[in-house]
Amino acid sequence: MSKDSQMRAAINQKLIEMGERERLKELLRAKLVECGWKDQLKAHCKDVIKEKGLEHVTVEDLVTEVTPKGRALVPDSVKKELLQRIRAFLAQHATL
Amino acid sequence: MKMEEVSMSSLDNSKLEGLAQDILSDLVEDACLGLCFEVHRAVKQGYFFLDDTDQESMRDFEIVDQPGLDVFGQVYNQWKNKECVCPNCSRSIAASRFAPHLEKCLGMGRNSSRIANRRIVTGNNTNNKSESDQEDNDDVNDNDWSYGAEKKAKKRKSDKNPNSPRRSKSFKHKNSMMGPRHRMDNQESPRMLMKDEAFPQ
Repeated sequence: MSKDSQMRAAINQKLIEMGERERLKELLRAKLVECGWKDQLKAHCKDVIKEKGLEHVTVEDLVTEVTPKGRALVPDSVKKELLQRIRAFLAQHATL
Repeated sequence: MKMEEVSMSSLDNSKLEGLAQDILSDLVEDACLGLCFEVHRAVKQGYFFLDDTDQESMRDFEIVDQPGLDVFGQVYNQWKNKECVCPNCSRSIAASRFAPHLEKCLGMGRNSSRIANRRIVTGNNTNNKSESDQEDNDDVNDNDWSYGAEKKAKKRKSDKNPNSPRRSKSFKHKNSMMGPRHRMDNQESPRMLMKDEAFPQ
């Protein structure tokens, strides 16, 4: 198990070192804006803020309210494309 | 490092798949967190609710969907019979005729290259003479302007349409009156000479 987590850390390290993580993040962000995910979540944020009150809302509140919804709302096509790229990266660098 | 690489190569497919899923959910979480920060900042700075307005003003700017009106609720061919004032000769021309008129009036475009040529020729002559060319240029400009003003009255009676051939003819006539000698000196454009002599007035 410790070996597994060690390996995960190594892969993550590599993702960051190669700059691939940043690229993937940028791609994901662009896709999510494009498909309206961001607008949906913003609308949800609005509800949360109105509920809690403008002055009292914290980042933690937003994160706990928004993250589950955000995960669920990512379209399958976007997931698929990201996974494709991650797999390609893994195939390239896991067998070095 | 060596050990890690060995362990990586011993990965099976299901583990790789799990890893890919984890990385994806990490990225999505990052995106969510980024959005949360963005929204939180917007709220605290007070610009988050700027874009939504009350229902009343929303109704004012609703898109109009009626026959004969555009999306702003205006009659859409109200500009059909508008007149534009030409910046060169300061006549008012129907909007639909404005572009062809301007082409002729400014001496640009295909058909008016002859007018432009003639202008270049006269310009060269004044330069060759090396007198106060500034003054001469002014003369040309004055001619241009006074043409419009002086022609206005006549034009209204005879022909509403500011037609290009008519215009260029009268222009030529005017110029040949002004300086036939200039053109005689210039041997570069015999064709132009012929043309001018074709309209002795």
